[in-house]
Amino acid sequence: MIGAGPICSEQSYDRGLEGLVAGDTAIGEVDGLRGRLLYRGYPVEQLVERASFEEVTYLVLFGEMPSAQQLAEWKAELIRWRHPPTAAVDALRRVPAEAHPLAQYRTMLTVAACHIPEPENTELDAQWRRPARILSWTADLAASAIRHLRREEPVAPRDDLGYAANFLYQTLGRVPSAETARAFEASLVVQAEHGLHAAAFSALVVISTGADLGSAVLAGMGALSGARHGGANQLAFQMLAGLRDPDHAREWAREALARGHRFPGFGHRVYKCPDPRVAALEPFAETLLTAHGKEHLWQIYLALREEVEGALGGKGIFANVDSITGLLYHPIGLPVSAFPIPFCLAIQTGWMAHCLEYLPGGKVIAPGAVYVG
Amino acid sequence: MTKLRTLSSGFDWRADHVDWPVTTDVGAGLAGVVAAETRVMWLDPSSGQLAYRGVPIEALATGPDFEEVAHLLITGMGSEEDPKGLAEFRRQVRSSRSLPTDVIDLVRGLDPSTHPTRMLRAGVSALGCHELSAEDDLAGRRHWEELRIVGQVAALVGEICRFRGGHGPRPPKDGCSLAEGLLAALNDRPPQADEVRALDLLWILYAAHGLDAPTFTSMVVASCLADPYYNIVAGLSALRGPKTGGASEEVLAQLLPLRDTAEAELWVRRTLDEGGVIAGFGHRTYHMPDPRVVILRKEVAAMARSRGRVDLFEVARAVESAATRALAPRGIFININFYGALLFHLLGAEPSLGPCLVAVGRMAGMAALVREALDTIRLYRPLSRYVGPPERDLDQETRS
Repeated sequence: MIGAGPICSEQSYDRGLEGLVAGDTAIGEVDGLRGRLLYRGYPVEQLVERASFEEVTYLVLFGEMPSAQQLAEWKAELIRWRHPPTAAVDALRRVPAEAHPLAQYRTMLTVAACHIPEPENTELDAQWRRPARILSWTADLAASAIRHLRREEPVAPRDDLGYAANFLYQTLGRVPSAETARAFEASLVVQAEHGLHAAAFSALVVISTGADLGSAVLAGMGALSGARHGGANQLAFQMLAGLRDPDHAREWAREALARGHRFPGFGHRVYKCPDPRVAALEPFAETLLTAHGKEHLWQIYLALREEVEGALGGKGIFANVDSITGLLYHPIGLPVSAFPIPFCLAIQTGWMAHCLEYLPGGKVIAPGAVYVG
Repeated sequence: MTKLRTLSSGFDWRADHVDWPVTTDVGAGLAGVVAAETRVMWLDPSSGQLAYRGVPIEALATGPDFEEVAHLLITGMGSEEDPKGLAEFRRQVRSSRSLPTDVIDLVRGLDPSTHPTRMLRAGVSALGCHELSAEDDLAGRRHWEELRIVGQVAALVGEICRFRGGHGPRPPKDGCSLAEGLLAALNDRPPQADEVRALDLLWILYAAHGLDAPTFTSMVVASCLADPYYNIVAGLSALRGPKTGGASEEVLAQLLPLRDTAEAELWVRRTLDEGGVIAGFGHRTYHMPDPRVVILRKEVAAMARSRGRVDLFEVARAVESAATRALAPRGIFININFYGALLFHLLGAEPSLGPCLVAVGRMAGMAALVREALDTIRLYRPLSRYVGPPERDLDQETRS
């Protein structure tokens, strides 16, 4: 448990707390040397093949795969919370449609938080019941935010659809094909938890003050909205979309490599080997892009990846998850500026798990600053 | 490589420079960890000294107003070094107080019983939607440069005060100071000079205090290059926690029902005997009295005298003395929230408005620290040690 105290009472680390071991966790293992990602001990590749997003959220939050009955109850709980306060959706009328969808989504969530009864904000016990509410409210609000971009009215949820399919239904206004829903769900599964990345860390700082889970998630979203974090899948996709064909991609990549360009969607603070999430999602991206007549994008991606990894792989720079998710979200029909949203919906599971793990005894997180004036 | 004994009293959190990587002590809650280098402020927990841009807090408490201190924090320039810059800064923060009607309507559309910090957060978020579009630079650096945020937050808090007080919306009078505008909104009348002075002082004292949880949250979010409004929404989320800004509400909940000094002493003794907590006592950073308390105590005494509330000050003094006698031997001392909450109360604010009022002052420090950090900032990403179940296989599980 991260708040209980340091691993060592003396440590060496770099700027950005790089290398600092902040504490223990039993939630996820990110092995950057072997390229392994495990949730509660299960490899993510297996979960993609075999588990629904609902099962994975249960696993990440509560530690074990649910039994049939537990899963049924968890799904019912998630469905029960699919109707956020109407005031939150109405808030969209008070913000310009040109605003960034993540900012609109943030505004709806801050308004929704005004409707959570006060004791639940401060009583620790009450917080344990809240992950389901946050997971489902956010999906509904995010879908409305994306529709608002296109000046379309919100769509009511459908209880017969799972989390992933319902989100796409509420966003696009039509029930997705089984293939599309499965690909999208896979992207949620591989992004449900990723250790103490910057967004999870900011959520943890907020929860350490005794604040509520919703506040912690808002801070995480803030971190994730940044260009260096969740925004990276937008930039990575825009880079690909600007390339004409595989030859152009290779030529541009070689030229960009020569001038030391930093490629969005490549390289990772932890993974110094291929990102396991990329391999897990690539088959889905290929299938979807081909089915939507966008195979050229797939070929461009492969060409670019080969060039960049060929040149920089020796330095531990490989494609990361941000390079591939856009290739799923684009054929599904999500606008580019909405690409960080599915990442947000998935990864908040991990943030909440870290928060719940931290809560019982965690100290307020407040490091120091050295005055050099 | 620099090696720093950060948790020993010999280290005063000053250095000519930091050679990264560093080796430091690491305590619970990352105490002792060096998360930034700064020229904005210096805080030395063991001597209790606090200075903004090299000027001791004691000097700042007797001279300039909040706007001048905010300008000093953000730019590093005092009024004499840069009088033109200060005048321009005053003009900018004051003129940024006109809020879009949609934002005021959104706040006024909220359930009136909503906690004010949540209203403020929703208002800041909506304001961000009006200020930035999807086409803008995600990092929104420009907006940290323009410093509109300090004035905008002051205006929003003013509107929230008016909403809570049952008054209709009204923007601050053109050209009045941030403190004048806020007090006029709070009490729906022109403020008196000593009230303006007191609020300026509170904001100055609350403006910056190292990397406390709200400020550090903002730094982490800023390190991802998020837009400034996301930053503030995240910081405000940490400000409300009962272990940080929320503490000032608890102070008043405890102090106001006490009738006299005898009851106050009895209450302290009983509370501590029962293992209870005296709000406004205890601070992670200081293991000695918070230097800001001395300044505030004097101010509260004066304000209580002029408002005929000497009884309240005496009760507070009695609680302070009794609690200090009992707690000081255990290293627990009074903190800024004790007299800070009382002064907000004497200025006419209901207890739940405390964290919002603190937030206005805190914006200056946050803007200064984040702006400074943006030049060299690196993504904050510490590691964790995995202690969960060893690798396992879904196939080998029999699931009931």
